[in-house]
Amino acid sequence: MSATTPLRLNASARVQSLTRPDGHGLPQTDAAQTVPAIRTPERPNRLRVVRRWLLSVLVLSAIWGVLTGWRADSLIFGIPAVLLGAAIPFLFPKPPHWRLSLRGALVFALWFAVQSVRGAVDVALRAFAPDMGLRPCFRACPLTLPPGAPRVMFVNTITLLPGTLSAEIMGDTLIVHMLDARADLDLALADLEARIRAFFALPQNPEHST
Amino acid sequence: MLELFAAALIALGTAFFIAGTVGLLRFPDIYCRLHALTKADGLGLALIALGVALLAGSAGEVFRIALVWFFVAVASATCGHLIARYARQSAGVGDD
Repeated sequence: MSATTPLRLNASARVQSLTRPDGHGLPQTDAAQTVPAIRTPERPNRLRVVRRWLLSVLVLSAIWGVLTGWRADSLIFGIPAVLLGAAIPFLFPKPPHWRLSLRGALVFALWFAVQSVRGAVDVALRAFAPDMGLRPCFRACPLTLPPGAPRVMFVNTITLLPGTLSAEIMGDTLIVHMLDARADLDLALADLEARIRAFFALPQNPEHST
Repeated sequence: MLELFAAALIALGTAFFIAGTVGLLRFPDIYCRLHALTKADGLGLALIALGVALLAGSAGEVFRIALVWFFVAVASATCGHLIARYARQSAGVGDD
């Protein structure tokens, strides 16, 4: 997820860094809570930090190994690169903890593949059509997903759905650009949100369940 | 047979890249053009990657191709958002 860090910084992290003026002085009373959704960052549990760092090192080492074909002499660059890469997340405010539902992720991946084909075919047909059928507009929609990974995923997936593009985040509001103002945006976004909630094993929003 | 299927996937992927480029040239404003680039080129790359992965000799190569696809997909959605945001913000500054 490190590739999407700029978005996360804009969406939520700035708010988080404001909410902890001196994160180091906080007592460690509720640091052990593991509620998945939004938690204002407490003092990070040392064990969890080490575990996170080790996981990064492991994943990055595997990627480096595969990229270089496991050549031993590439480790001269590989070891410093992996260690530096694993340290990068510590430069940013700690993202809220999240977990993944395997079943939700599989369902999401399939659905996402179908939707991205639909989106691409839609835009390709418009590109070649004499009358492109464009009726572009902007719409504002409230962001109800918790900040962090679920929100970043929501914003990025909208861009790949047929006819929608996430244009700007203003606090808790997302500005969506639509190719065709006649499409039903609310329905599509409610569906996407439900799927992302399933992906991250979050409770479903009763208002939006279909 | 496998090679033929791979070639068909790569050709289809190229067609989507062309469609994305045509959209980039024909669509009226920057936001519509971003739609064409992020969606059509994204699928074009996915199809080409799938075709090339079918021809790949080793699991390592398939993994590398998948990695390329994943990072390009995440980067294009993020870049599309950043370009749109920049366009909106600079337009807002000009209007006020």
